[in-house]
Parts: sequence; C-alpha cells; structure tokens
Amino acid sequence: METFSGLISGFSIALTPINLLFAFIGALVGTAIGVLPGLGPAATIALLLPAIYVVSEPVTAIILMAGIFYGSMYGGSTTSILLNLPGEAASVVTCIDGYKMAKKGRAGAALGIAAIGSFVAGTIGIVGLTLFAPLIAEFALSFGPPEKFSLAVVGLLMAVTLSGSSIIKGLVMLALGLLLASVGLDPISGKTRFSFGVIELQSGFDFVTLAMGVFGLGEIFIGLEAAVKVEVATTKVGSVWPTLKDWAASRMAILRGTLIGFFIGVIPGGGAVISSLVSYAVEKKVAKHPEEFGEGAIEGVAGPESANNAASSSSFIPLLTLGIPGNASIAMIFAALLIKGITPGPFLIQEHPEVFWGVIASMYLGNVMLLVLNLPLVGLWAQLTRVPFGLMAPVIILFTVIGSYSIQGQAFDIYSLIGFGLFGYVLRKLKFEPGPLVLAFVLGPMVEQSMRQSLLMSGGSFLIFVTRPISLSLIGLFAVLVAGQAALTIYKRFSPNN
Amino acid sequence: MKRLTALLAVMLLALFLVPVAMAADVFPSKPVTGLVPMAPGGSSDLMARALEKYWGKYSPQPMVIVNKPGGGGVVGTEQIVRSKPDGYNMYIAYGSGHDIVMPSLQKMPYDPQKDLIAVARVSIHSVVIVTGANSPFNSIKDVIAYSKKEGKPVTTAVSVKAGAVDLALTAFGKAAGVNIVTVPFSGGAEATTALAGGHLMIGGGHPSEVIPHIKAGRFKPLAVVLPQRDPSMPDVPTLKEQGVDVATWGSVKGVAVPAGTPKEVVKYLETTILKICKDPEFLETMKNLNQPVMCQGSEEFTKFIKQATEDYAKLIKELNIKID
Repeated sequence: METFSGLISGFSIALTPINLLFAFIGALVGTAIGVLPGLGPAATIALLLPAIYVVSEPVTAIILMAGIFYGSMYGGSTTSILLNLPGEAASVVTCIDGYKMAKKGRAGAALGIAAIGSFVAGTIGIVGLTLFAPLIAEFALSFGPPEKFSLAVVGLLMAVTLSGSSIIKGLVMLALGLLLASVGLDPISGKTRFSFGVIELQSGFDFVTLAMGVFGLGEIFIGLEAAVKVEVATTKVGSVWPTLKDWAASRMAILRGTLIGFFIGVIPGGGAVISSLVSYAVEKKVAKHPEEFGEGAIEGVAGPESANNAASSSSFIPLLTLGIPGNASIAMIFAALLIKGITPGPFLIQEHPEVFWGVIASMYLGNVMLLVLNLPLVGLWAQLTRVPFGLMAPVIILFTVIGSYSIQGQAFDIYSLIGFGLFGYVLRKLKFEPGPLVLAFVLGPMVEQSMRQSLLMSGGSFLIFVTRPISLSLIGLFAVLVAGQAALTIYKRFSPNN
Repeated sequence: MKRLTALLAVMLLALFLVPVAMAADVFPSKPVTGLVPMAPGGSSDLMARALEKYWGKYSPQPMVIVNKPGGGGVVGTEQIVRSKPDGYNMYIAYGSGHDIVMPSLQKMPYDPQKDLIAVARVSIHSVVIVTGANSPFNSIKDVIAYSKKEGKPVTTAVSVKAGAVDLALTAFGKAAGVNIVTVPFSGGAEATTALAGGHLMIGGGHPSEVIPHIKAGRFKPLAVVLPQRDPSMPDVPTLKEQGVDVATWGSVKGVAVPAGTPKEVVKYLETTILKICKDPEFLETMKNLNQPVMCQGSEEFTKFIKQATEDYAKLIKELNIKID
C-alpha cells in the first residue's frame, strides 16, 4: 500500500511540466546520441553530466540523467541493425541477426521488435524496481562496513570475470581505477595522498572530468579514426510493425530476455552488456531452428534488446537501496545524486521520497515516450546515422570542454579532461575495456573505507569478513560463480563436440 | 536552467547598475556573492541558502550562493582569501572544522584568523552523542559502566577523521576512561546510517543529522558536547551534567570577508546579517533545518573564533592527535 501511495505521489512529481519536459529531453537526447556509433549509455551520460549543475532541483536532474540512460539504451540498437556498428556494447549481439535482417530488407521489423521488446522489458523492469526496492531498502540496513566491502569487491571482480573479454586486462583496469581513486584525501586519516603539491588534486580527481574524458572523449577520438568508411545497409526502413509470424517468434524471447535482464541487472558487476550476451545464448539454445541464428532470426534481436533494457531498470535497485552502483552507467547516476547532495542508501526512500518515487514514475513515462519516439520516428533516427562523424565530433568535443570548465571554473579540469581523453583513446587502442576502470574509480573509496572501517571495528582481524553471514554468503556466491565459469571453460576446451 | 537564466539576468542588471552606483558610492551596488566551500545539500549549504532567501528583505542587492567544495573546505576558503576585499565576496560557514580545527593539525595555505575578518556568527552545530534505539545504553553512565565492566572497546561512528565530531568523542573517551574506537565515514549521512543498522555501539553527529533519526525512533540521544544545552534539542543533557568534564564548540557557522575589506562595508554586512537573525521567518526556516540560531556580531565573533581555535589546539595536544 505504501508502495502504491508512493508511486502515486511520484507520478504527481513526474507529471509536473518541468519534470515531464526533462524526462522527454533526456529520452530524446539519449536516443539521439545513443544512435551515434560507439557512444553508449556510459559515454552519453558522461558527456551530459555537467547539465545537472544547471538544473536546480535534484529530482529533475536525476530524471534527466535516467532519461538519457534508457534513451541511449534504446538508441543503441538502431546502428547495430542499420550499420552493423553497435551503438553501445549491450547491442553488440543485436548486430549479428539485426544487420542480417536489414540486409534482407527487414530493417523495419528488426527495429520495431527491438523497440517493442525494449518497451515491454523496460516497463516490467520498472515494475520490479517499484515492488522490490522498498523491500530491499529495509533489508539494506543490515549492510554494515564488512558487507559493503564484500559486495563492492565481489561487484568489481564480477564486472571483470563476467565481461567475456580478457580477465587480465580487466584486472589491470581495476587496479588503475583504484589507484586513480586514491589520489586526494585519505578517507580515514585525512592525509593528502599523491597530490604532489597541486592544490586542485587535494580533493582528488573529479569524477565528471574523468568520466567525460575516458568514456566520452576517448570514444570520440576512436570514432574519428574509424568513422571514415561506414557501409549503411539501408536507410529505407519500411514497416516497423512486426508481422504475426514475427510476433509469435519473439513473444517468448522478449519475456525470457526480460527475466534474464532483470536478474543480471541486480547483480553487482552485471548489467546490460552481460544480460544481452546471456539472452542471446539462451535464445540460441531454446530455438527450434538454431541454424537461423546469424542469418536474421528475429528472436536474436528481440531477446537481447529486451534483456538489456530490463537490466538497465533493475540495476537501479542496488544503487537506490544500498548506495552501491553495479556498473559504469549507474555509477554516473550515483555521481549525479552525490553532486545534488543526495546520498543514496537505505534511507533514500524515507528522506528523499520525492527523488525516489519521482524518478521511478518518470521512468514509466519515459518508456512510453521512447516507444512513441522510436516506432514512428525510426526512419528519422536512421537518417541521423548519415551525418558525418567528422562534423559531429568537433562540436561534441567543444561542448565537453565547456562543460568540464563550467563545473568548477578552473582551467585545471580542462587539462585533466584532455589528459583522460587521450588516456581513454590509448586504452581502446590497446583493447582495454574502460568500464571496470570507471567502476573501480567510483567504488574505490568505498572499498578502501569499508575495509578499514571493518578492521577498526574488529580490532584488526580479517575474520570479520567471514564471520558475518551476509558478507560470507557474498564471498561464497562469488567463489561458486568463478568455479562454475572455470569448470565451463575447461569442459568446453575438452569437450569433443567443440 | 532556471538558475542560469536568473544568474544571467542578475549579471546584466548588475552591469547596468554599476555606473549609477559608482556615482552614489553606496555599498552594495551589485549582487553579493556568498561562497560556500562545501558541497550543495550539506548543513553549511542549507544555512547559506536560508540566509540568501531572506537577504533580499534587508538589502537592496541580492545574494548569490556559489558552492566551491574541495580539500575539506580549504579550496573555497582560499579563493575568498585571495579575492578582492570589497565586501562582494563573502565566505559562508566561517568557523567550520578547517578554520578552527585543521590549523592545529596541518600547515594551512593561509591564516584563517589573520587573512579573514569575522563578520557575524549565525549558528553552532553542536556534537550530539547518540546510540541505536535497540542499544542497551540509555545514558552516558551506561556507556562508561559497560566499558568498565566488559573492558571492551566501544565502536563509535563519526562523520570524518579529525573533524569536530571525532575530536569530541575522542575527548569524551579520554576524560571518562572509556576505550573509544572512532570509525570515520565520509560524511554524517553515512555514519548515521551505519549506526542505525546497529553496526556500531554509539555515534556522534550534528543535530541536523541526528534529529531526523531520533524523531523516527531509530536513535536515542545520550549527551550534547557543548558547555550548555543545545537550543535545538533542549531535553538532551550535556556531558558535564552527566559528570564528564568535556565540552567543545562543535562546528561553528558564520560569515567572513577577506582581510582588508573597508570597515564600513563590514559594518553593513554585520548589521544586515544580525537583522536576518531576528527575522521570524528565518528563525522558522532554521528550526526546520534543525540548526539553532546563535548569532553574534563581528567583534565578539572574532574573539570567539580565537578562543575556539585555542581550545581545539589544547584539546588536540592533550589527545595527541596527529595527521602528518
């Protein structure tokens, strides 16, 4: 009942003209930038983070950021299908069958089912968020420093082990992120670390600058290099309404994707990318005609695109109840909340109900807006992919520089922005995935602080991490997952069928 | 967007008004900046915004709040110290930890007393010792008795290391012979959340941080660490009343301007703030923020800051606290 009345009050906040407008702007801008190849949700939010300094109301600012987040999640599928270039990492698998469908002249059906699947999954995800978040928040008080430490560490390691790319490289990124996070004030003793006498570094690197540089500028630099030749499959979209046959084929895929996405989104270190990969694998397994996969199977588009949207809704749960961001995009929203003076945690629902319910209600509305924006206007978005990246990039870079300077009005931030941009470029060149770095940068202070707090509480004994049941179960869960994955890898290697 | 437009409008208006004002030569002839060296949403920022809201009632020019957090407050304060001493650059939150506590712990890039002129004190954020609602402790005596009987350390949640709360609790432990282990968090919100979860035995915080939890029945207040009771929670006894001879100034929140600001300008700012201090609507706003209004004029506040700094220096020496 409390949930219901909370949601009602949330809608009364989300439906005010200003919040409605910002939800729309977020969804629109998010889709538009998400359509640009290479710029995924994390980069899009990073580039637009400075906007929240201009919006005075915290709830409006977060509504805007959330809108950008799920907007870019929708937009990502467009380039995957039309250009065979994933708009974001979570749409990589969409390329496989989506682009094939487009080549066969079924671009409209692919785009349509991606939008419908995204809408259904996104909405079910938000319903889950609405129902479960208040329950988890009550439970969340039992998360003290030792539990937070275990959860954050497990989250960081999961982000690396589940990502599918090189684990060694992921660990290097984690270490670098933690190192960057340790610049500034020591959270326990108050000493200044690694500032080398630079006064701007006394409070550490600025998260917005780092994120805009590593994610935003880094991807743009790479994009400038790669954007020279892009083959457009077609910009003729055709009917976006799926046929009865399409619908029958993808109905269950959407539902399965939603469930997979929802659960993976809640796991720290999980999120959209992994859920789309898992969903694709599952669809291929359960399909009656697995040979169609890779040749334009509509389930291969419907499942993953549903999964990544459900995951993006459910990944708000650990953020809003425990104050722990599970992936890089959510880490941006976490930073935005902190900048607005709101510390997400177990008391968020009680202390800032307007933010909690307002943002959730706006997500329902935003999903409807996105469906409306995407189904009829998909042709327009397709045209956007034809704007030369060489024209777009300088404008985006300019706004990034202005944005970073506007936050604190110090030239130092511009230098560090460009520095981080070049760093992000080098990382991509060397095939390092910057996601774990940014996540580690955000979680670093939490990991360090909660570990040292735990040790203060226990009088220096590390046993505190295994004698407390929640902490122990988290570590145990992680051990089982790693063991399982290792066993699977070994099985695959020695299995005669492969 | 709204704030930006307002700012632009104000700036244009200011440009327009400058020539007229020059001729009249009356302060203030343009909007006054109130710089808060802490993040928006914190207790200093909330107080600054309460001042800003009623400033316009007593001054022909508005006040514009600017947040410049960083380095525990040093970054923003240094900007004020280096700014033009013409009265248009005010520092709000003067008397915070980095002004009266930090100088005894580390080298400062400026002298918080010599490089700033105290204009007026607005509030004192006292340190309140609290415990969880389910805790067996009901008074400070219970805490002392537990420590004497069990001989175990008392884990204590504090907002930051070497801040006003940490010092007050450490001093309490030393004076009462209790083995207090302070566990620092990043800010009052996190510290109180961990205490509410029952992960620590006691904790400390400012009234604005703990009163919401006391009202919600999650905390029991044990003591106030001020020389007298705190006006925002008059029912809570001081440590002295409970037989522990410890009192600190908590965190002081006042207004300052850079050294060299003309006397008459300081006088004008002082008078304006003291007028706001008496405004019933302002008092109501502050009450809702759980911040007691404890105003003081420039001369008294200057002496107060000197005294508070010396008291903290003595305390830090006694407790043998070191950072670098």
